[in-house]
Amino acid sequence: MVDLFSTPILVTVVLGVVGLAIPAIDAAKREKGVDRNKLYSAIAFGALIFAMGIVVFRIFAGEVLPAVAFSQNVLADDMFGSFFAIALLLVSVMVTASSWNYYKGKSNPAAYYSLILLSSIGMVIIAYSTDLVMLLVAWELMSLPTYALAGFTKRDPISNEAAIKYFMFGALSSALIVLAIGLVYGITGTTNIGDSIKAMSSLDPSLTPVGLLAVALFIAGFGFKMGLVPFHMWLPDAYEGAPTTIGALLAAGTKKAGFAAALRVIVLGMFALNLDWTLTLAIVAVFTMTLGNLGALVQKSVPRILAYSSIAQAGYIMIGIALAPYSDQALTGSLFHIINHSVMKSAGFIAAAAVATALASYSLEKYRGLGKRMPITAIAFSISLLALAGVPPLNGFWSKLVLFGAAINSGPLVEWGPWLAIAGVLNSALSLGYYAWIMRKMYMEEGPDMSRVKEPRAMVAVLVFAMVFMVGFGIWHAPLLDFASRAIPDLSNITQASMITSGH
Amino acid sequence: MAIGFEGIAVNAWLVWLLPFAGSAIIAAVARSGHRIRDYTAVGFALASALSAATLIPLALQGAEVHSQIPWISSLGLKAGVLADPLAIVMANMVGWVSFLIMVYSTGYMHGDKDLTRYWFFMLFFIGSMQLIVLSDNLLMVFFGWEGVGLASYALIGFWYYDRKKDFVGSEGHIAGGIPMWASPTHAGLKAFLMTRAGDTMMLAGMFLIFMHAGTFGFKELVEDPSWAITMSQQNLLVPAAVLLFGGAIGKSAQFPLNEWLLEAMTGPTAVSALIHAATMVKAGVFLVARIGPLFFALATIGAFSMQQFFEVVAWVGAITAFLLATQALVNPEIKKVLAYSTGSQIGYMMMGLGIAGLSLNFVDGYTSGFFHMMSHAMFKASLFMGAGALLHSVGSRFMTDMGGLKKPMRKTYIFMLLASLSLAGAPLFTSGFWSKDAIFAAVLESGYNYSWPLFIMAVVVAVMTAFYTFRMIGMAFFGKASKHIEEMEQHGHHVHEAGLSMLVPYAILAVASIAIGVVGFVFEAQIHALFTEYLAESFGIHNKVEEAAGSAFNIAPEGNKTWFGLNPLAAAASVGAFAVGGSLGYIFYIARKADPQVISRSIVTRAIWKFLYNRWYLNTALYWGGVVGPLAIYRLIWRYFESTIIDGMNPALQYSMTYMSRVVKGGQTGITQTYLFVFAVGIMIIVMLLFL
Repeated sequence: MVDLFSTPILVTVVLGVVGLAIPAIDAAKREKGVDRNKLYSAIAFGALIFAMGIVVFRIFAGEVLPAVAFSQNVLADDMFGSFFAIALLLVSVMVTASSWNYYKGKSNPAAYYSLILLSSIGMVIIAYSTDLVMLLVAWELMSLPTYALAGFTKRDPISNEAAIKYFMFGALSSALIVLAIGLVYGITGTTNIGDSIKAMSSLDPSLTPVGLLAVALFIAGFGFKMGLVPFHMWLPDAYEGAPTTIGALLAAGTKKAGFAAALRVIVLGMFALNLDWTLTLAIVAVFTMTLGNLGALVQKSVPRILAYSSIAQAGYIMIGIALAPYSDQALTGSLFHIINHSVMKSAGFIAAAAVATALASYSLEKYRGLGKRMPITAIAFSISLLALAGVPPLNGFWSKLVLFGAAINSGPLVEWGPWLAIAGVLNSALSLGYYAWIMRKMYMEEGPDMSRVKEPRAMVAVLVFAMVFMVGFGIWHAPLLDFASRAIPDLSNITQASMITSGH
Repeated sequence: MAIGFEGIAVNAWLVWLLPFAGSAIIAAVARSGHRIRDYTAVGFALASALSAATLIPLALQGAEVHSQIPWISSLGLKAGVLADPLAIVMANMVGWVSFLIMVYSTGYMHGDKDLTRYWFFMLFFIGSMQLIVLSDNLLMVFFGWEGVGLASYALIGFWYYDRKKDFVGSEGHIAGGIPMWASPTHAGLKAFLMTRAGDTMMLAGMFLIFMHAGTFGFKELVEDPSWAITMSQQNLLVPAAVLLFGGAIGKSAQFPLNEWLLEAMTGPTAVSALIHAATMVKAGVFLVARIGPLFFALATIGAFSMQQFFEVVAWVGAITAFLLATQALVNPEIKKVLAYSTGSQIGYMMMGLGIAGLSLNFVDGYTSGFFHMMSHAMFKASLFMGAGALLHSVGSRFMTDMGGLKKPMRKTYIFMLLASLSLAGAPLFTSGFWSKDAIFAAVLESGYNYSWPLFIMAVVVAVMTAFYTFRMIGMAFFGKASKHIEEMEQHGHHVHEAGLSMLVPYAILAVASIAIGVVGFVFEAQIHALFTEYLAESFGIHNKVEEAAGSAFNIAPEGNKTWFGLNPLAAAASVGAFAVGGSLGYIFYIARKADPQVISRSIVTRAIWKFLYNRWYLNTALYWGGVVGPLAIYRLIWRYFESTIIDGMNPALQYSMTYMSRVVKGGQTGITQTYLFVFAVGIMIIVMLLFL
């Protein structure tokens, strides 16, 4: 059934073994008063780098299939999965590396890193899944550790509240997904995504409403993780309350896994159902970006601003998904923006975590004069904010350019297409209202205390890496764009296949 | 023809990479001492020149090196060097003249506190210029082009602290409401902006061609002429070529973008020498030398006419030559006289290159223009460096503050005199004579309908050139010492000869300029043969005299090359021009038989003097139209549009957005029940939207 030497299995084995070994080591050698955070951080970091190495190596070795829409197995070792695996593991790597400083002196480091690794497995498997049950298992594997992680600072009521809210909505969305899978299985008799989509396209008309209901439930279930309006309300509370590094993991990692699942199931499913579903997603996209940006505008806590900003960014990514049938570039743009956003948003949260480590505050007021107090953090944060806003020549500019370009080019096929680009551009301008505001606080205002603060080293290293990524791929975006376009399954085949099957 | 990286191709890359490498490390080297830093800078210039020298055998064989590496693969663009005879000769000229100027700089700039910055930009300047010379495509040329622009901006404004003594122009001289003196920073900015106007045109021309040809490569452009045929059918080719030439107009300070060159004299004199002799202004001429044969060959292959393009080149050159020569007649500043002279001589070169495309013998005009560029590089670099030595010892840029320097600065006098004779075109033994004569001959023999007006303008300019050259020499070296010098001597500052590191470079160039002149016609014949072969090999351009009978050219070529390869009429004209202009200059300024003040006696001559002294009011027009006018308009827009309408709208936008943001924030109650409710409603809405 499953090739044991395929990428997802290898990654699972590596991360799983290490993820379980860390608590075992901790249980065996626990000593009072010894902070083993650095050791576990290094082990987890090494494991994640190794896992990423496997993914990259297998791509270059030519062992990975080109992006496929469907597979008879439960997992497909294809470019689509590998693309997301790299984007998601990148986030985990950055999170673990910065936890070297952030998690210093806190309780239970072994469990912390173990949970991050286990959650990473879930994220990676989602991207490779071609079976609904496999997807659900991976989804839960990704989600469950993050519920614990969100509330990891046990004595902090805000963290607890965040975890509870996150968990409640997580449970709700999991229930919706299970229900949707049940409906699909009920009307098609299979849980393989490819088979069920084929079956759905030749569905008895009386069962079509059930199919639609299933799609709606999938949208709601995955939309919760993606942070789409109106399933976004838990998100600012959870991202803000969770430890800031975990905020990065949630915003940059699990959110992207949600997109991977949505792309595998909803988009492909909708192609098959021949629905006029694109307008629905377009409306969701516009609401998502607008509400996200408006929400961020008057916030006073930096992680909260970043949380709202990640809602807005999900809206931009949705532009590409909504326009998938009309433009070749649309999905490429979405994937391109997903990998860029992974790095940009992680960098933003990690910068906030660095400030929290050094100054013990999340308040925007504390960011005054940060350009002098923590120069590297401040410049990396500024670059990530500019990249999020889509300022050239940073990487965020190029992915937005591809997305908006796709929207404009879809004009002849769908009349509301260009309006998405206009909405996106206006929202980008609006978003500068708070991005630039943070930068203004950091560089143009002076706080009461202007003394130089020691910047956490590991975090600085991560931020410098992110800076290089954002500027480097901003100047030379071609390889990343090329990678994204190779990760898109050939959609023309799918529609043709569904035409053929539904034509009889 | 060798393609690839092997052997000699590396040297071609090194010619432009080495100066860049030098500029990259110079700041680090500066930490280990000033001496090492200065030697490193000069060393890199020497290394670059030596790499260029290793290419000379190739040029003599008529061979070329073309080496490419992938660059922007998605556009199919390659980076490459093309060392053909044209580029090799040019690279050597640039390399060696630059090297001598760098040596001179060690003396001239000695003790300046910002020397690291100076070396950085000088090397950057040379590297950019060599990039222009050696690159095999227009895009890389443009990179070098902009590098040259940046370096010139930084070096013209090198003394950015704007001391009064670094200004140019006479303070208080106002023409038509515009001050005619400028600070170094102002001059740097002016040069940058004015050349930018040309660069914009060049960029437009480049991309017009790229749109149709799909390549920037010179080799590729000539290999497949179909793009040119398409463009000429749409009447786009001549505009594109003229736009490209626009870049050359800006860089080479040709009319109407000539005004920056004069203020550029605020830079250190070594920089002026570099700008005028080796880099910057020669870039424009080189560009025309690069694209001229290309368009000419394409026109021949595609059977369309590029005549208008070459006419533009020739006439822009002629007008500039005349315009700036007249202004040089009256200027009191020695560096500015040289600057006017440069613009004017570049005009000659453009005339030569332009007439090439209008004539039966492309090679003749082409060789004449290029030959003049070479001889000009030598004598003008020498003259600038000599002028720098004068400035150094006298402490003033005005020739009226000099005088009688023949004795105290004997060596400088001799070498400047030699170089001046070359500029003035003293017959038979100066390189300037032969190259100028070649241009005259090319114009005369071209068969171009309007060759006579061009020729007459060229001769008039030659008369003026001889006059202002003698005037410069006379005012600086002859007569009595000026009041300024007397005052200096009273204060114990004695006028002294320049040091060896300064003297030797301009001595070498002055002597070289004469040496080439002595063997002038042999040398010219050599270059002619070299370019004949080059143009035939690379572009398939052959001498067309034989085939010309009964062609579109209805005027038979004037005269024949009989007497030592000289056109008798052209030779007579250039000898005559030297005699007339030179003797006038001699009477007024060297022998001092007549007082130049005579012109103030007549209203007419006074008016002419004032007109010329105010630079034909071109600078005035430029500032009114390009600076004062637009600024006034911007101010109006700001006052009546921005500060009322735009600024009025801003708060409205701000408050409405804040309000909406508070609404969203208010919806975020923090109560889980609300969230769940919204979630549930959301699902219903999605279902409804899907069912619609």
